[in-house]
Amino acid sequence: MLTDFNFRVIWEYMPLFLTGVRATAFIAAVSITLALITGIIACACRISGIKILKYPAIAYIELIRSTPLLVQIYFLYFGLPTLGVRVPELQTGILALMLNSGAYIAEIIRAGINSVDEGHIEAGISSGLNYVQRMRFIILPQALGVTIPPLLGQNIVLVKDSALLSLISVVELTRSGQTMTSERFMPAEAFLTVAFFYMCIYFCLKTFADWSQRKLIFREVY
Amino acid sequence: MIEFKNVNKWFGKLHVLNDINLTIPKGEVLVICGPSGSGKSTLIRCINRLEPIQKGKIIVNDVPVHDKATNLTKLRADIGFVFQQFHLYPHMTVLENVMLAPVNVKKIAKSKAEKIAMKKLEQVGLTEKSGVHPAQLSGGQQQRVAIARGLAMSPKIMLFDEPTSALDPEMIGEVLDVMVNLVSEGMTMCVVTHEMGFAKKVANRVLFMDEGAIVETGTPDKFFDNPKTDRAANFISMILTH
Amino acid sequence: MMAFYFGQLVEIFPFFLKGLWMTSKIAFISLVSCTLIGLVLGIFRSSNSIILRHLVGVYVAFVRGTPFVVQIFIIFFIFPEWGIQLEAFSAALLAMAIMGSAFICEIVAGGIAAIPKGQWEAAASSGLTNLQQLRLIVIPQAMKIILPPLVGQYVLLIKDTSVVSVIGVMDLTRVGWVTVVRIPEGLMVFTLVGALYFMISYPLILLSNYLERRMAV
Ligand SMILES: Nc1ncnc2c1ncn2[C@@H]1O[C@H](COP(=O)(O)OP(=O)(O)OP(=O)(O)O)[C@@H](O)[C@H]1O
Ligand SMILES: [Mg+2]
Repeated sequence: MLTDFNFRVIWEYMPLFLTGVRATAFIAAVSITLALITGIIACACRISGIKILKYPAIAYIELIRSTPLLVQIYFLYFGLPTLGVRVPELQTGILALMLNSGAYIAEIIRAGINSVDEGHIEAGISSGLNYVQRMRFIILPQALGVTIPPLLGQNIVLVKDSALLSLISVVELTRSGQTMTSERFMPAEAFLTVAFFYMCIYFCLKTFADWSQRKLIFREVY
Repeated sequence: MIEFKNVNKWFGKLHVLNDINLTIPKGEVLVICGPSGSGKSTLIRCINRLEPIQKGKIIVNDVPVHDKATNLTKLRADIGFVFQQFHLYPHMTVLENVMLAPVNVKKIAKSKAEKIAMKKLEQVGLTEKSGVHPAQLSGGQQQRVAIARGLAMSPKIMLFDEPTSALDPEMIGEVLDVMVNLVSEGMTMCVVTHEMGFAKKVANRVLFMDEGAIVETGTPDKFFDNPKTDRAANFISMILTH
Repeated sequence: MMAFYFGQLVEIFPFFLKGLWMTSKIAFISLVSCTLIGLVLGIFRSSNSIILRHLVGVYVAFVRGTPFVVQIFIIFFIFPEWGIQLEAFSAALLAMAIMGSAFICEIVAGGIAAIPKGQWEAAASSGLTNLQQLRLIVIPQAMKIILPPLVGQYVLLIKDTSVVSVIGVMDLTRVGWVTVVRIPEGLMVFTLVGALYFMISYPLILLSNYLERRMAV
């Protein structure tokens, strides 16, 4: 079935694919960093108990979680210009990924904080620690252990999500496949190669995520 | 009825059963004891093939247990098994737990299976609990239901793996009573337990295991009062001081 | 200007409802097929056969390791190369079934793995066959563990149906994309699209939250 699979053309396009891999890695790295910041802020607002912070945060998180990323990307891509804001595709895409993953990360962190034993918090209150101190010394250190594995999971999701940016012509890995398809019409070669590179990225990230999880469980035993 | 012929079993490199030869005639009550990790559970789990063996042969009712061609379902229907941790099905009522195998293995009609199940529950003194879920029962009651579940298939052999070890002391008696009653009905039984009282009262034979081998066998009185080997003597003094 | 476009948008609203109908249709069919296939694969994944386990494992890794949009392109473009003509709608359903079942497979396998070994052994000891052990003892108990993440996965899958718009299926997202060319009010158009997605997925999110809370107690 793949008898006339054309490796020569793939080789010819290798520089394009490698550029795509680099771009995807760059987009993912920038987006996850920004998303982490967004998520921490959103989560802080969400659990703050201050109404004017809490409700907008809830609205943001729930709206993101209940609409598709692709619609969010199009919303920004077609919507920002109507507001008179001119943003290049790449930045639009990163903004979308940041806002999207930020909402999920906010929920991951909140779940981590909620998982901390009520008794520990009460013990902190009893020994006179204030809210910030309790966060700093009791809640966050414990929440971190539960939070890191799903955060790394979200990172994997984000890499795959970034493929959607190809649909607003951002140059990245999937776009390389589209380019090769339109120039040579060899979609099988193009997209299987793209898939191969995503698999490589996936296995690196997955190995790291599994390793960190084992490490964390190991620490818990002690 | 049950026959072990040069049975050997390994878990990886660990030699858990070391050349076991053993015959349990019909109607015998055999108590197996020995230190933790000596292979007691493994030994009785081999009888209904919950564990595979690597060498030797086990024959139950003239059927070679570990033969590929053996009809496992039929074999197991004749052997009741009671676990240390009960393993009742939490999503079913007590009655449903007991009825499950008769209905699904023996294909007995539901109404008839219910009658059988109620009879078995009566035997363990729990008819009034038939409608509740296992989580609402005490440990002793759960273990009695587990015994009723084992009996529901009218097995020829009952195997018990430390049936009272997970129980609070005040509940051990009620479970042992049920087992003693079973003995009086002539059931062939193989019981892993450290309950010396039970062994002395009803066992025909005690088997002492250590490091995967049978070290000593004898009548309960002889074994507990005059053990032949040092290892057995050590073990008995240990369970006595507990 | 805004008001003018708003009027136009109201005029073509039926077009959006058609998109919503298409999205619902794809979502419904794929959720059902993903659940069925995922259940079977999840059982294979927890079987004793090493070959079966690893075969399913490779399948799951391939699906989880690549973006859905790439999977759709592969299915949509490669099948014709093998001489199998696949219209966009069938390609979309096929892609959804492949992708969704892999994720549901993992959820099912996780649920099965959470059932203590003793339950299998107790059932085996009373003579139940492997299939009976699974059907009567393990699956009913695993269902309780599986349900909350399964509903959560449904939400993700419904949202993922938006990606099938890239091969030309006239779903809600595609309708928005086509509309925005005629009515250059991106915010308005995609707010409407988003609102319609929200209508489908938010109730499910609430259900999933509820199930998770109920599991926790
Ligand atoms: N599934 C298994 N895989 C590997 N090793 C096992 C397994 N089951 C048991 N073992 C090992 O085999 C040895 C015998 O176990 P077994 O459970 O038969 O002992 P036991 O005499 O019943 O002990 P206890 O009184 O603690 O129940 C132990 O060293 C145990 O660690
Ligand atoms: Mg044991």
